[in-house]
Amino acid sequence: MSATPTAAPGTLVSEVPDGVETERIGYAWAINHALAEEMRRDPRVWMMGQDIGKMGGVFGVTRGLFDEFGPMRVRDTTINETFIVGGAAGAAMTGTIPVVELQFADFGLVAGDEIFHKLAKWRYMHGGKLELPAVVRLPTGVVGGAGAEHSQSLEAMGMHVPGLKVALPATPADAKGLLKTAIHDRNPVLFFEHKGMYRMKGEVPTGDDYLVPFGVAAVRRHGDAATVVATGLMVPRALEAAEKLSAEGIELEVIDPRTLVPLDMETIVTSVERTGRALVVQEAVRTAGAGAEIAARIQEAVFFALDAPVWRLGALDTPVPQDPDLEQLVIPSATQIEAAARELVAL
Amino acid sequence: MSTKTAKEAADAAPATAAEDAVALEAYREVTRIRALELLLNRYVKEHGFGGFWHPGLGQEAVQAGAVMPLRDEDYLFYAHRGLGYALVKGMAPEVLLGDLLGRTGGSVGGKGGGTVHFVDPDIGVLGQGGTLGSNFVLGAGAATSVQLLGEDRVVAIFFGDGAAARGTFHEAALQAAVWKLPIVWVCENNGWHLSAPFSDQSPTEDIADRASAYGVPGVVVDGQDALAVRAATLEAVERARAGEGPTLIEAKTLRIRGHYEGDPQKYRDDIADGLEVPRDPLKILRERVPAAEADALDAAAAEEADGALETALAMPKGGPEVITEGVWADEEAGS
Repeated sequence: MSATPTAAPGTLVSEVPDGVETERIGYAWAINHALAEEMRRDPRVWMMGQDIGKMGGVFGVTRGLFDEFGPMRVRDTTINETFIVGGAAGAAMTGTIPVVELQFADFGLVAGDEIFHKLAKWRYMHGGKLELPAVVRLPTGVVGGAGAEHSQSLEAMGMHVPGLKVALPATPADAKGLLKTAIHDRNPVLFFEHKGMYRMKGEVPTGDDYLVPFGVAAVRRHGDAATVVATGLMVPRALEAAEKLSAEGIELEVIDPRTLVPLDMETIVTSVERTGRALVVQEAVRTAGAGAEIAARIQEAVFFALDAPVWRLGALDTPVPQDPDLEQLVIPSATQIEAAARELVAL
Repeated sequence: MSTKTAKEAADAAPATAAEDAVALEAYREVTRIRALELLLNRYVKEHGFGGFWHPGLGQEAVQAGAVMPLRDEDYLFYAHRGLGYALVKGMAPEVLLGDLLGRTGGSVGGKGGGTVHFVDPDIGVLGQGGTLGSNFVLGAGAATSVQLLGEDRVVAIFFGDGAAARGTFHEAALQAAVWKLPIVWVCENNGWHLSAPFSDQSPTEDIADRASAYGVPGVVVDGQDALAVRAATLEAVERARAGEGPTLIEAKTLRIRGHYEGDPQKYRDDIADGLEVPRDPLKILRERVPAAEADALDAAAAEEADGALETALAMPKGGPEVITEGVWADEEAGS
C-alpha cells in the first residue's frame, strides 16, 4: 500500500493486503459491518440519529442493527441535530462511545456549535482532563437531486478547526477499516461517507480486526507523469481518467489521502518529488477547500522539484443545483480530470 | 408549581435535628461562596483581571442549595455566574481561583483566565461552554451515558434566564423527556439577559411553565432561600435517580452586580452599585441556625477565601508551553 517508486507505471494497487479473506460488498454495507462489529466488540459503543432504528437510516446504512442491538443502543432521535452531536459530546466524556448519524453532512452546520466548539475544543478548554471519543457520520457529496443544502462537501471545515479528525473513505474496504479506526480513536472524528458511493462494491476484508490507520495515504495507482491527489468520489474518477490517459502513454500516480486530519503529506510530496507535477482534485467547491491546503503544502515542501504549477480541480463556486443532470456539471468529472491532467503534463 | 420558603416549612412543623444539620450545612456553603464573591470583588477592583469575572453575588443560595443534594459521582454542568457550583461540588477554592487567575495549579492547568472553565472529572465537574445553552445538549448526552451504563448518577445542568431561550434547551429537553433521562435543570432566573430585563424577553412570568411542554415537572422556588432550593432539588434528584426523568427547577434570584465586574450597567436603574443583597440568603438562613455557629462559619469562610487567594497567587502562571497541550487525547495526533 505504500508508495513504491519502483512499481511499474500503470500498476493499480490492491488496497487489501495479500492473504486477507474478503467478500464483495457495497460501501454502505461495509459501514454497516463496521458498526455491527464494533458494537459487538465493545458494549460502550452505541448509536443515535434520525430514522436509524427500525427504518435502518434514510440511506439504509444501519439496517438490521436495531434488531440486533435494541433500542437502547440504536436510538432514533427526533429532528434535533444539536442534541445528536452535542449529546454525543456529552456521552463521550462520560464513558460511552457514541457513533451518531446526521442524515446529510450539510446538517452538521445546524450543529456547528456542537461540532466546532464542543467536540473540537471541550478537551482543550478543560485542560486535557476529558476525552471525547465520538464519531459523527456525515453522508456527504452529490447524489441525484438532493439540492443545495444536502449535497455539499464540507470536509475542509473539519480541517480548519483544530481538535477534529477527518476521514473520507473512497472505497468499501476503507469505509469499513477507517470507520473501525474512528470508533477506536480517543478523539472526535468527522466521518464523511460519500452517499453517491453507498452502492459501489469492492472487496472488503471480512475480519473484525480490519482497521485502516489514520494518517496513511493510499497510492491507488502508480505512475510517473503527474501525481493526482484525490478524495472521496474523485478517487474513482481520477482512476478512470488515468486509465484513459494510459492509452496515450501518460501514466498518472493517484493518491488518496483517506484522512485529512491527520494528513499524510509525506506520501504525497515523495510522489510529487518524483513526478514533478501535481493535480489536486476535490468534489468540494474549488475555493478554500482541502485541495488548496494540500496544494500549498506541496509547493512549500517540494517547490524546486516542480516542473509546473500545482493545479486544483474542484466544484464550481456555486451552490449545487437541485436538478440531477445539472448537479453533475458542477463537480469534476472523469473527463475533466483527464483533460486537466493531460494539459498539466504538457506544460 | 409552588413557592415555599424555608420559614413557612419551618413554621409548619418543628425542625428535627437532621433539618438543623442541613440548615447549618447550607449556611456553611452559602457563606463560603459569599466570601469568595466578596474577595473577588475586591481583587478585581484593586488589581484588575485578565479576563472577565461574572460575579454571582446574590445567587449563592441557588448554587449551594441545588448542588448540596448531589453526590460526588453525579455530573455537574455549571453556569458562568460565580464559582459556587464547583466549590460546593467539592473543588478546592485555591484551584478555582487558580483557574480564574490563569495559574498552572488551576484545574485547566494554566489555560484559564476569567470565569468559565473548571473541571474535575473525579467529582463529576464536567465543565462549561463559552456559548451559553450548550450545556443542555452535553448534559443530556451525559445522562444518556448514565442510562446506557445502568448507573444511578444524576446530571445537574445550570443555566440563566437568558440561556433558557436557546433552541438547544428545546432539542435536549424533548429528547430527555422522551427517554426519561436523569437530569435536573436548574434555572437561575436573576431577571437579566445581560442588559435586557427578563420581563421584556419572556412572554410568561415563569420559565418553569415551559416544563409542561415536555410533560415534566416545573417548579418555581425562592432562589434566595437555600433550603427551599435544596428541598426542590432533592426531590428532582430522587425522581431522576428513580428513572422518572427530568425536572425543571426555576429559582428566582437576583443579579446584584454587573454582567461582568466593571460593567457600568447603564441599562439598569433597579439596583445601586453596591454589595448589598436584598433578601440576602445569609440573613434568611440565619433564622434557622444559631448565631454563634453562623458567626464561626463566616469567619472560617473568610479565612478559607483569603488563604485560597494567597495559595493561588503563589502558583506559576501558564507559559507558552500550555498553548498546544490538550488538543488531542493522543498528543501526537493531528496534521
